[in-house]
Amino acid sequence: MPILPKKKVGIVACSGEEMPEGTVSRVAALKVLEELRPNDTVTICLPLFLAGGEGDRAFARFYPTVAIDGCEKRCAARATEIYSGKPAASIVVTEVVSRNGLGPIRGSRRLNEAGMQAANLVAQEVARLVDGLLGRTGQAVEGAAAEVPEDEEAAISLCSCGSGIPVQKVLVNGRVVTLIALPAIFEQFYQSGKRPGEGTTRELLEITRIYNPIPPEEEAAYAEALAREYEKYCRKQVS
Amino acid sequence: MSPNRRVVIVPCSGIGKTFGTVSREAAYTVVEDLRPDATELVALSLLVLGDEEARAAVAGHPTITIDGCRLACATKMVQESGLTVARSFTVLDAFRKHRDLKPEGISSLNPEGQKLARILAEEVAEAVDELVKNET
Repeated sequence: MPILPKKKVGIVACSGEEMPEGTVSRVAALKVLEELRPNDTVTICLPLFLAGGEGDRAFARFYPTVAIDGCEKRCAARATEIYSGKPAASIVVTEVVSRNGLGPIRGSRRLNEAGMQAANLVAQEVARLVDGLLGRTGQAVEGAAAEVPEDEEAAISLCSCGSGIPVQKVLVNGRVVTLIALPAIFEQFYQSGKRPGEGTTRELLEITRIYNPIPPEEEAAYAEALAREYEKYCRKQVS
Repeated sequence: MSPNRRVVIVPCSGIGKTFGTVSREAAYTVVEDLRPDATELVALSLLVLGDEEARAAVAGHPTITIDGCRLACATKMVQESGLTVARSFTVLDAFRKHRDLKPEGISSLNPEGQKLARILAEEVAEAVDELVKNET
């Protein structure tokens, strides 16, 4: 049975070594990745991203990203937008420090106490954003959601963890929509013995929603498209 | 950059792997402990995204890159930015020479990783001395 790739959020930290705030961004990112949301986040390696790492760029095209920048130059957010897509959310350390009235941040190599406090605050803020992006809390998320580009040619895209993420284009309300993981979902359903029908369509809609944004007002259209495509898929399996 | 500081150090900046942490630790060791008066750190992202100050520092001084792995992002990107790399080092090469020092940990390096970073930093410091000597 195929294992479906779980929806995750990519964390891009500026990591600027020359300033303490860059270190805050790095420490905060690692805290989210290792302690706060280890199962829901992956790191997007900024140098590799900048150097043309296709896996990391593809990941950021399909999944939401949170950029953590040390200063207002916003290297991480800008790089993500230039090479992939607009980050779903963006945090600047200097703004968090100023908002919380923290003392001067010192120590690019080893942060002082104010720096560690800043890292913890930034990490908590990022964790909340991750929850929002994954629909855990229903809270509003600032910034634009990452969108699947309509002109994506490839049927298969690769995520940064190296696993292939299959995608499929389907017609919804007269327009072509690319749905992440749909081929794997169909395969899993078929192998589980689920055949086309009202109950299966409802289940398909729910699991497809985990990987793809489905606007409430378009649920019926998506359900119709999924039912149609799954029926086609099942016919192919028996022919 | 201060006139005394004649060499720029650009580490890999990666945060997802141990080797990136070693490269950063080695860079800090050179810039803060071993050759504080002769070196300055420049962040890779600033350079690639066209920050004028960062580009001027690299354009005007010999630059040493410290990469984590064989992808050599720091070296490639300094070169692709139209700038010159005077010397390049990789953590992977240092590890090949010191197999007993297997680095582990990303947030904080294990003692072996710290030793490896120190050894690499000492090699980089020697290269700094050579570059400074050639400049004068």
